[in-house]
Amino acid sequence: MEVIRDAGFDELLALCGGCCSCATCHVHIEAGPTDALAAMSEDENDLLDSSSHRGSQSRLSCQLPITDALDGLRVKIAPED
Amino acid sequence: MTELADRDYFTDHEILVDPYAYFEAVRGKGRVYQPKGKDYLMVMGFEETLEIMRNSEDFSAIIGLQGASAPLPFTPHGPDITAQIEAHRGEFHGGDLLVNLDDNAHVQLRALVNRLFTPSRLKANEEFIQAFSDELVRDAVANGGVELVRTIATPFVTLVIADLLGIPAEDRQKFMDIIQDAPPPGNLDGELDLDAEDHPFMIMGGYFAQYVAERRADPKQDILSELANAVYPDGTLPDELAIVKLGMFMFGAGQDTSAKLLGNAMRYIVDQPGLQDKLRADPKLVPALIEEVLRLEGSTKQTARLARRDTKIGDIPVPAGTKIMLSIAAANRDPARWEDPQAFKLDRPKIREHVAFGRSAHTCAGAPLARVEVRIILEKLLQYTADIDLDAEVHGPRGARKLDFEPSFIIRGLSELHLKLTPAAGVDLSPGGSPMIQKAVPASDPRAVTPAPVSGPVSVPVAGYSTASTRLATLLSDPGAKAVLDQHFPGITADKRIGMAKSMTLRAIQKFAPGQFTDEALDAVDRDLALLPVD
Repeated sequence: MEVIRDAGFDELLALCGGCCSCATCHVHIEAGPTDALAAMSEDENDLLDSSSHRGSQSRLSCQLPITDALDGLRVKIAPED
Repeated sequence: MTELADRDYFTDHEILVDPYAYFEAVRGKGRVYQPKGKDYLMVMGFEETLEIMRNSEDFSAIIGLQGASAPLPFTPHGPDITAQIEAHRGEFHGGDLLVNLDDNAHVQLRALVNRLFTPSRLKANEEFIQAFSDELVRDAVANGGVELVRTIATPFVTLVIADLLGIPAEDRQKFMDIIQDAPPPGNLDGELDLDAEDHPFMIMGGYFAQYVAERRADPKQDILSELANAVYPDGTLPDELAIVKLGMFMFGAGQDTSAKLLGNAMRYIVDQPGLQDKLRADPKLVPALIEEVLRLEGSTKQTARLARRDTKIGDIPVPAGTKIMLSIAAANRDPARWEDPQAFKLDRPKIREHVAFGRSAHTCAGAPLARVEVRIILEKLLQYTADIDLDAEVHGPRGARKLDFEPSFIIRGLSELHLKLTPAAGVDLSPGGSPMIQKAVPASDPRAVTPAPVSGPVSVPVAGYSTASTRLATLLSDPGAKAVLDQHFPGITADKRIGMAKSMTLRAIQKFAPGQFTDEALDAVDRDLALLPVD
């Protein structure tokens, strides 16, 4: 989430600032090393359920710490709910 | 006479009563305005406010607590003053508190806080919030009325944070007493010295330091242990003082905002015609009410940034070193963003995009907690009453209310709100169970709470001192004991750092600095203390 935000993508609202409580940093993972993504917590899962744009590749970007292993990852910012 | 837009926001007690009229006067001058004779810019526009909040590359948060009018501790020079800011960080008011941090230091500390406010955490906390608010509201309604701010809001938010942080039940009353006497930040008449030894943060810090030390030495299955042993995202262990300061900051932050939000929300509930009945009929509207109150009268009126690089706001060039006031209250009433912005409406589209909690890196971490706690206590107040009104004897009639606001340039909040509560028909107001804290909160006179009896976790004997049972503050206040300390630890009584540890015993402090306070040295102090005449 911070990487997207700090790169200037204002479409990512991230209203709660990254504490996994608002679901406004919702992204769809499109391509890349998806196996290297951090596992989904129950909190994240519950929050994603509140979005009408949830798909099989949905994640909250604030829950995805960026590591070298994620080089090449492509995500699309989900539409606003 | 100075026109309204050019009066001094930071000291004017009339602006304090109605900051909104003042902000509209400033907005009349432009979306970004430099008041006559001032050295800071005021940002009124919603878009410009967002732009600055999002641009933490160019704008430092360092002056968040001291505000845009306070002088910088250095003379800025050059197109990038980042290094100057960092070199002088300690000289800024609250320079090392989370809200004022920048860059990596902020990212690291913020990550620790974020872990506390996840939905599952708040769910666990919600049980306490439900039970405690139930108890407070039943008492208040049974009494026919209550002074909301001091008697309910303050103890409520303080104990909710205490529960969230896992403060032991037996110490909670002490934290409440300390907090109750603390003024909010951003005082119009001068700031309290954060390092002053009797500052509430310092007293609480003493307790917190002890919790952290104990739980690092002997971790338990509790939240404090998790916080004490949490590592930064970069893998390093925070020093104990960083955790202590964070804990104190959380108390302060919740105190001045959630508590005031409850008071502000209650004014709308009472004074908007028909609103309370509408909410009683459909309690699911309470969250919408909270969002609209946050927009119209959120508890943070403004914050500040310091341009650290030559930059721009919109098209306006802004040199490094420019101080900027972000008028949150004005952005939330910007007619370019909000239709009919001065009006109260329950169903605004995209209402949650207001900036009452800020945006981007410094977004209020406690926002989810504030929303939960204020919602629950409002639900209880509505559920147990048939009618809520302001006490006209104190506040005057509807349309001509007399209200006192905290003298703060940051916080928008009432110092008192006296309510008349008419019980709902058929509601049982007998106490629901055992009280949530050992000493019940006095429902009638809030001032009856004894001011900060700061005894350490170990009670102080009436006669005789020891390094194991007497807290440092007591030793320092007795000239004889003070002399003993100076004899064994030259310079200690003048050392500013021990202000942090005054509510601790020397044996507790020993855990932090075992090299400086050896067993032998403390045994020797005990022998000398035992010889002191008893008052």
